[in-house]
Amino acid sequence: MTDILSGLDLIMNAQTIFWVVVGSILGIILGALPGLTATMGVALMLPITFYLPTATGMALLISVYTGAVSGASIPAILLGIPGNPNALATVEDGYKLAQKGLGSLALGSAALASLIGGFLSLLILSFFAPFLAQATLAFGPAEKFMLAFLGMAVIAAVTSKDLSKGVMMAALGVCLSLIGTDPFTNAPRMPFADVLSSTPLQSGIKLIPALIGLFGISQVLYDLERLKTGNLAMPQVKMVYPFPTMKKLCQMWRVILESTGIGTVIGAIPGTGASIAVFLSHERAKHITNKPGSKLDKVGTGSVEGVFAPEIANNAVTGGALIPVLTLGIPGDAVTAVLLGALLVKGIVPGHELFVSNMPLVYSIFFGMGLSLIAMFVFQMAGIRLFPKVLGIPPSLLIPIVAMLSFVGTYAVDGQAPLTATYNMGVAFALGVFGYLMKKADYPVSPLVLGLILGQMLEENLRLAVKLAQGSYLTFVQSPIALTMLVGVTLALLLPRLRKQKKA
Amino acid sequence: MKKFAGLLAATSLLLTSAAFSSGAMAQDWPDEEKVVSVVVPFAAGGGTDTAFRQLTEEVKKYLPARVQIVNISGAGSAKGTNEMLQMPADGYAVLASGTHTIGATMQGLTPGYDQLDQILGLNWDPFIVAVLKSRPYKDFDGLVAAAKEKPGSICLGNAGMGGATGLASVGINLKFDRAFNVTPFNGGQNLRADVLGGRCEAGIFSQSEILANAEELQPLVVLYENRSTLDALSHVPTLAETGHGDLAVPGGSYKSLAVHKDVPADVKKILADTFAQAFKSEAYAEFMANNGVIADFSEGDAAEAYFQSLVEGFEPLVREAGLYNKK
Repeated sequence: MTDILSGLDLIMNAQTIFWVVVGSILGIILGALPGLTATMGVALMLPITFYLPTATGMALLISVYTGAVSGASIPAILLGIPGNPNALATVEDGYKLAQKGLGSLALGSAALASLIGGFLSLLILSFFAPFLAQATLAFGPAEKFMLAFLGMAVIAAVTSKDLSKGVMMAALGVCLSLIGTDPFTNAPRMPFADVLSSTPLQSGIKLIPALIGLFGISQVLYDLERLKTGNLAMPQVKMVYPFPTMKKLCQMWRVILESTGIGTVIGAIPGTGASIAVFLSHERAKHITNKPGSKLDKVGTGSVEGVFAPEIANNAVTGGALIPVLTLGIPGDAVTAVLLGALLVKGIVPGHELFVSNMPLVYSIFFGMGLSLIAMFVFQMAGIRLFPKVLGIPPSLLIPIVAMLSFVGTYAVDGQAPLTATYNMGVAFALGVFGYLMKKADYPVSPLVLGLILGQMLEENLRLAVKLAQGSYLTFVQSPIALTMLVGVTLALLLPRLRKQKKA
Repeated sequence: MKKFAGLLAATSLLLTSAAFSSGAMAQDWPDEEKVVSVVVPFAAGGGTDTAFRQLTEEVKKYLPARVQIVNISGAGSAKGTNEMLQMPADGYAVLASGTHTIGATMQGLTPGYDQLDQILGLNWDPFIVAVLKSRPYKDFDGLVAAAKEKPGSICLGNAGMGGATGLASVGINLKFDRAFNVTPFNGGQNLRADVLGGRCEAGIFSQSEILANAEELQPLVVLYENRSTLDALSHVPTLAETGHGDLAVPGGSYKSLAVHKDVPADVKKILADTFAQAFKSEAYAEFMANNGVIADFSEGDAAEAYFQSLVEGFEPLVREAGLYNKK
């Protein structure tokens, strides 16, 4: 109990509230503008957190994250274009509602659903947190390796119709993560090592420049093509009462609970993320509302239920995604990798000891998330009339701003040594161009990102696990946890193929 | 196309401003706009990390520029040391140096101390070999006997091969006919998790690590020459008391502050004075007392001389362990 109070103490101050407000507004705008992602927003905010207390910095990043997750629903509803993958499933019912003239009801429901989903998953997270400490000890190098491997397999399988493309990109990401030096012997790993090992290349490819390149700069290049197309016609939002009635909310209990469950569980599995959760919850909601005797409006016809399910699920994902980060230090996606980076900079190491000796900080992260959910809700509602204007920002203004922020952000993140900073900008630019080309060639970029994030973790844990098992690779099938995850890997890689064959 | 040109112009402007900002030096050191990076060559949460974080907290009170810990782990401190040496020699990068620097340099993993100047000697953190309480080994000899019975089956973990715990574990292993499976972890934090999780039998820890996990860990032997100054650990015997006085291994980790040797002398002086002030603060004294860390302060040339004496003492150990590979 004292832990909870001291956690609250860490977060309840004007500074934190200020940054949560800034983060939420920024997050919602980033989420709403198609192409800009939560990842980019969080990566750009990271250098600011170096100057803030840990709890405040985490609250800032989480508020950008939750803001961007729910902000994505705005263009999905108003224009039928999801701001980012979080709103993929919101489009169907949200856009139909808007066309019926119920745009404000759809936007209000999305905001309310985000709030509910976020809070329910936060409740689940805080309830289980004290038990997680013991569970983390069950994860050794073999288990951590398999968990990271599972994440890569899942993301390779779900992000592209062509599994081989996903696997190739994931493998390429791992290869890129190996550039630099050997983690055990410090031997250089790069071409022309005699010359290049005394350059910043020896520190390898750092995560933030890579993320800014792949998410920011490649998007800038992509958007340059959009310049020729005219602005989209903005619909007017007529104000009607923006929330579903209390009675309706009560009737929807099953949709709400199932979507929360789906979001939290999916979020906790590395590599999965919101795009799977929103479709699953949308499907489940369709199933529930289509049952004979159901008093609910059918999902798919432009119903509040169809907005609620995915919007609850995508915010529940944020709570679930914190589980592997805080307990094992294994990020499931790019956003949580940045969150992890912010913690490590402050010397906070996720894992057993965080839960044993630093519970107040864990609770302060939870409170920060609660605070950011409230801020997100407030600004979503306050902004309903403004959103069409935000969406109307012409690309000719947006593109240079994003480009500038990308380079400044890359420069600032390692900001003291100009040589390193310039190298980082080069990395961002190179990966930006590469990401753009891959997008054009229809190769998925997210497996590459996860490979880059998890590569070093995979290598270190693989080598350590084999060393601990005295050279035996059997260790990966001897531990029940690792074995379960190996089954998961097999399923992730084989299921899409089996399903395809069944269809054919 | 015009817009693209504008973008390129902005980019090149940024690049040029980057190139020019590296000029300024010495007389107005530190520039308040800049950041002094304290490079800790281990993952966050280990003994070296904790010691330097505490010190850095104090330094922040005395230095007008921002001070920040940067963890660069890998290759038993060699990776972080190398990266620190690559940074400009302008005093904005300092290294959490010490016995690990000696180990990593002698193993040929980094140019290390040859390119560094030790500007401040700080303290010793004695090592203790410990196992989980639920294990059957009641003392150090019990652990050794179990390892000898089935060579290679008992893991003896360290916090990185280049570091002092790495040398200590290799030294112990050699003495007992390579009976242990010596395993290098990426920093103390990971070593603790796997010893506590039951995947590695024994580990070499600092006292603070044992204290933080006193309920689970059973300390077997102190590698330092004297018993612990802490009441909670004063019952643990030293190597000599267990009959292994002839076993020459690093008894603890020594920590010092180092900068690139090309850093201007006046900047070195400012850094040394500021960190010394932080070291002598009440808060840091309390930190050392609570963690059983033994102060061993030296400054300037004395710090370098003391470090060199350690280097000489280490060389036979590293050679004996078959790890000497200095270029």
